Amino acid sequence: MGDLGTAVRVEHVVFRYGAHLVLDDVSLEIPRGKLSVLLGRNGSGKSTLLRVMAGIADCGKGRVEYFGEDGRRMTSRRRAGVVGYLPQQHRAVFPFSVEDVVLTGRASSVMLLPREADRRMAREAMERVGMLHLARRPYTELSGGEQQLVMIARVLAQEPRIILLDEPTSHLDFINQARLLRLLQSLVASDLTVVAVLHDPNLAFLYGDHFIFLKDGRTRTAGEGRSAWDLHFLESLYDIKLVSIPFRERAFVFPAMR
Amino acid sequence: MSRAEASRSSCLHWVLYLLPLPVLVLSLLVGPSETLTARDAASWLAANTLGLAPAADVNDRLARTILLDVRLPRVLLTFLIGGALAAAGTGLQALFRNPLVCPYLLGLSSGGAFGAALALTTPWLPLQPAAFLFGLTAVGLSYLLARTHRRVSTISLVLSGVIVSGMFTSLLTILQFLTDPFKLQTIVHWTMGNLHNASWAKVRSSAPLILFSCAWLFLLRWRMNVLALGDEETRSVGLNPEREKLLVLLPATLAASASVAVAGVISLVGLVVPHMVRMLIGPDNTRSMPAAFALGGAFLLLVDNCSRSLTSFELPVGVFTTLLGGPFFVYLLKRARIGWEI
Repeated sequence: MGDLGTAVRVEHVVFRYGAHLVLDDVSLEIPRGKLSVLLGRNGSGKSTLLRVMAGIADCGKGRVEYFGEDGRRMTSRRRAGVVGYLPQQHRAVFPFSVEDVVLTGRASSVMLLPREADRRMAREAMERVGMLHLARRPYTELSGGEQQLVMIARVLAQEPRIILLDEPTSHLDFINQARLLRLLQSLVASDLTVVAVLHDPNLAFLYGDHFIFLKDGRTRTAGEGRSAWDLHFLESLYDIKLVSIPFRERAFVFPAMR
Repeated sequence: MSRAEASRSSCLHWVLYLLPLPVLVLSLLVGPSETLTARDAASWLAANTLGLAPAADVNDRLARTILLDVRLPRVLLTFLIGGALAAAGTGLQALFRNPLVCPYLLGLSSGGAFGAALALTTPWLPLQPAAFLFGLTAVGLSYLLARTHRRVSTISLVLSGVIVSGMFTSLLTILQFLTDPFKLQTIVHWTMGNLHNASWAKVRSSAPLILFSCAWLFLLRWRMNVLALGDEETRSVGLNPEREKLLVLLPATLAASASVAVAGVISLVGLVVPHMVRMLIGPDNTRSMPAAFALGGAFLLLVDNCSRSLTSFELPVGVFTTLLGGPFFVYLLKRARIGWEI
């Protein structure tokens, strides 16, 4: 019953990198049609958790389900039709045109060469992020913000129902961060499920619908009766003294001055 | 890109695709023979292909022998080898995500050279298969050495390629040290790249494999666009990068090894031509893969024409490709945008 509203269910995932325990028995649910944000300090396991959810990193003895379907029973091509994943900062080598980059998002349904339908979907995806006018430009000549939008178009061209983004706002300026998050909100409005790793809790609280907090490879919750932007909870999450400034029904937080 | 630019670029890639035809004909006319001039050859060719009246002073049997038995196999073999090396280079540059990669990176040339030297010093070992198999062995070793936890990272592949290359070069040196001076000379000649002993037998023994692997690369050309974006980017769209890499590495190695086996080490074609193509028509492999094959073949033919006609004796073609390609390579290195990117 609850499954209808759950896009991704992660159960008891343990991930080790050598001797280091990156994810220590993580279980969580990502609500469908919402913008979920993963928060936590560097090295808390956010990226790994996202890669596990994308089916790229091994989920160990745990389990990842997409709309109730066991991820391990899906082929990677089929999984790519359900989950799209944008890795951290893409570094381009060859000056492919924007259109060619976006078109590679169709790879899971292309045998040898992309068909006209694939090109149409790539164009629609570029249109959706407002990058269609740059279709012929070399990707390498775009600004960081434009490149990020192109990579999001690439994920959209894949036509997944769930999109996982690893730090999509890093390298973007103030305005582009806001634009990108508004774009994510508009995707969510069209029944896509979006999960994004963000560094800035304030941006997360401004735009996000659902929050997941990670510390030392475990999920943390604020506890009974406390909101997610409870000052003490965030202080324990980030291990630093914070000040908070109320804003509407939420609050902004900043590291406390000495 | 404007409409005018787009049409210019589409015009340009047709020029590249069609370039081999005039170059092939031109190459038939070039040669050191003093009894058959280029004009005679042209007149004989025109008479036998277009049905024009032959010039009276052309010796038909001589022209037939020189053109059909000596020059035609050489021209075809040269074209195939140039095309194969350039196509393999294009595929490997996408695989390694690096425009400075060439088909010999993983030890193919030193393995092939060792195999050839072994065959030249061992009476019962046939040369071409030995060079071919040792070229494949070297690449296979590099691949296996680089493989850890069922994944093959680009940097470890490059490093193991350096190690395997070095090992086979040392083994080659031992052979050269132990063998007699006459055989040593043959080995050295072989490693410099040679097309002068081209024959129909060599065309027959290498063409099927070269054409097969180039067709394979041609079919996979769009997947190379995916692979060229990076491992994680490939995985995220549902393809397995390790599998895709192997699918490109195999035909590239087969094509290059078949070329090395039949003509020795012809350097820089597989490095420089893919780059020239990318500068001319852009990085999209769906177009640059066939263009690289065509331009690679035409380029090697032109270089071979120089080596056949510039001096009264024939210089090994590998020397020429290096002399021409070297400065170009330096120019590429100096351009700021090109560098290592793993």
